Amino acid sequence: MTAPTVAFSEAQLAEVRRLQGLYPDGRAALLPALHLAQETFGHISLEVEEYVARLFDLTPAHVHEVVTFYTLFFREPKGRHVVAVCHNLSCHLAGAPEIVAHVRRRLGVDVGETTDDGRVTLQSVECLCACEHAPMMQVDDRYELDLTPEKVDRILEGLR
Amino acid sequence: MPKLTINGQAVDVPAGTNLIEAARKIGVEVPHYCYHPALSIAGQCRLCMVDVEKTPRPTIACNTLAADGMAVWTETDRVKETRKSIMEFHLINHPLDCPVCDQAGECGLQIYYMKHGLYDPRMRDEKVHKPKAVPLGAHVILDAERCILCSRCVRFCDEVTGTGELGIFSRGDESEIGLFPGKELANKYSGNVVDICPVGALTDRDFRFAVRVWYLDSATSICPGCARGCNIEVHVNRRRPHHNDGRRVARLKPRFNADVNRWWICDDGRYGFAFVDDTSRLVIPRWSRDGALGDATWEEAIAAVAGALQRFAPDEIGVVASPKMANEDLWALRRILESRGIRRVAFRVPPRTPGDEDTLLIRRDKNPNSLGAELLGLEGDGAAILAAARARQVKCLWVFGHDLLASAWPVTETDAALRALELLIFTGPSANATSERAHFTLPAAAWVEREGTYTNFEGRVQRFRQAVQPLGQALPEWDILGRVLRALGVEAGATRAERWFRELASGVPAFTGLTYQSIGDGGAALSAPPGGGAAGSHLVSGHPPMGPGSRSPLP
Repeated sequence: MTAPTVAFSEAQLAEVRRLQGLYPDGRAALLPALHLAQETFGHISLEVEEYVARLFDLTPAHVHEVVTFYTLFFREPKGRHVVAVCHNLSCHLAGAPEIVAHVRRRLGVDVGETTDDGRVTLQSVECLCACEHAPMMQVDDRYELDLTPEKVDRILEGLR
Repeated sequence: MPKLTINGQAVDVPAGTNLIEAARKIGVEVPHYCYHPALSIAGQCRLCMVDVEKTPRPTIACNTLAADGMAVWTETDRVKETRKSIMEFHLINHPLDCPVCDQAGECGLQIYYMKHGLYDPRMRDEKVHKPKAVPLGAHVILDAERCILCSRCVRFCDEVTGTGELGIFSRGDESEIGLFPGKELANKYSGNVVDICPVGALTDRDFRFAVRVWYLDSATSICPGCARGCNIEVHVNRRRPHHNDGRRVARLKPRFNADVNRWWICDDGRYGFAFVDDTSRLVIPRWSRDGALGDATWEEAIAAVAGALQRFAPDEIGVVASPKMANEDLWALRRILESRGIRRVAFRVPPRTPGDEDTLLIRRDKNPNSLGAELLGLEGDGAAILAAARARQVKCLWVFGHDLLASAWPVTETDAALRALELLIFTGPSANATSERAHFTLPAAAWVEREGTYTNFEGRVQRFRQAVQPLGQALPEWDILGRVLRALGVEAGATRAERWFRELASGVPAFTGLTYQSIGDGGAALSAPPGGGAAGSHLVSGHPPMGPGSRSPLP
């Protein structure tokens, strides 16, 4: 194994150890540790997965399982903004496929991709628990509800 | 001991037994995919639903422990309906590619669909597509579309080998098993994931597309790859000889033995059978003298060997027996040695590269019958025999199976010893550099071509059966040696392996009381298990002591 080019600071390592100590099984701290890694390194590359695996005495495959399971972990560099359209049942019935198609057209990227200018990353995700306002999407830390193509256009224009 | 009823039938099971095993005990099969008795409970496939009285809905049998007074029903209408629905879920994205799937004929989905499914599919949507024909390592290939995500392979790598290479990535209908990008499934037991995969997701790269499983015949056997003696089945292709390039042995599969190998075998053992159908096999007795060579009949060859054993003085004869020979062969050899008073005998030839070993199954000694050879009194100093050959004290050498020129002994010294001999006789299944130098080569049947027994390092005597006919004119060693005995004018009535074993059991105290019947398919412990200080004292250097001190219980 090559020497890691990604590494937490001493303070971050102490934080990981503190998190691990909170749970009967230290692996429970994997999620917060991965969030910390994402904040630190921008996204979770395979190299980061291997680094975190060593901190948790896990095989890289088991960290990869967790990272690929959650849509909030980015395995590629992400845009300045993240647009995550819900595609689950309620939103699907209320027109999510059209919303996704509209966003794709407007941004000129496919689901999972980032615009060339690094402005927006588009995702399509499972239920975000706002079915009463379907179709909906999450833009960075905000929920955008009761979407229409016009509303989507306004939201996208506001992203710089 | 919880006492419960299953389908109205009373059964007692040890505390901690789950309902699948409790039902198995009275011959009731609860269908399941993810449950495996060697692995942790995943509760993932949901197929093992049973009704337990006083519980509101069907419950998974794998994760429900038998309890006193429990009444379990495995075939209620509700259970059958549940199973059918779950089968339908499992097959939503499963491709209908049975005609080109290597698992066909031994596939859990096929079997359970016919037993528990038999519904008309209602899916109108396109199936989800995933990677196909992805090699995971040297032996295993993945079709992710066929996978039902039971996670047996993942748990095997986590819990049995401890290597943790496999995982289930992504989620929902995009979930798939796989390796961390750039890594390989390279542990020494990787072939086992093919065995425990209930569907065609993981198949064997060596066996793939070689022959349909319903054309295979099977014989119970023992792996000859190391001193563990893992129990195996030999699957042979007798009915479609034009398939698989005429290769008769199609594959080896582990056979459960709680005391030896449980459900597993290592990859070296699993793929160690290629020599059986290889062109390097010896198939006709041959002679060679001063650059000339030719075929011999067995009669000529036997007469020549017997003649040599009489012509040379006993002290001029050396014998290097093999720990790959069966107990029966070694006993017949011992009868020859005794009848001629031959004392220069050995069976251990140190390998050039020491064998690997682990705590699961793999033993450093790559021979199946070292302990048998030891108990039969064939221990000796092989290097000393070769030294005596160089000094022209030993003039006739009989080598069984070994390639002395590929051993840890210095090649120049071995070469000088072989050069100094007046007569070199070689008996074994395959040609090697030593057999090339022999004046007589007597072709021996490979282990799958004959019957016999091996004694593993723990003193368990185990039987292997004949799966195919010997190639060419090859004969089991006990047969060759019996013919030599008779040519020497010694009474040797045994014409079957079992008769030789009977003779051996009455002649060697450790084997007293053992018969082919008592050994059966599970093996039997020696009546006087190996041990005492003596066993370690005459080991050739380079071999670890193999007495009881090195016994390790399986994990």
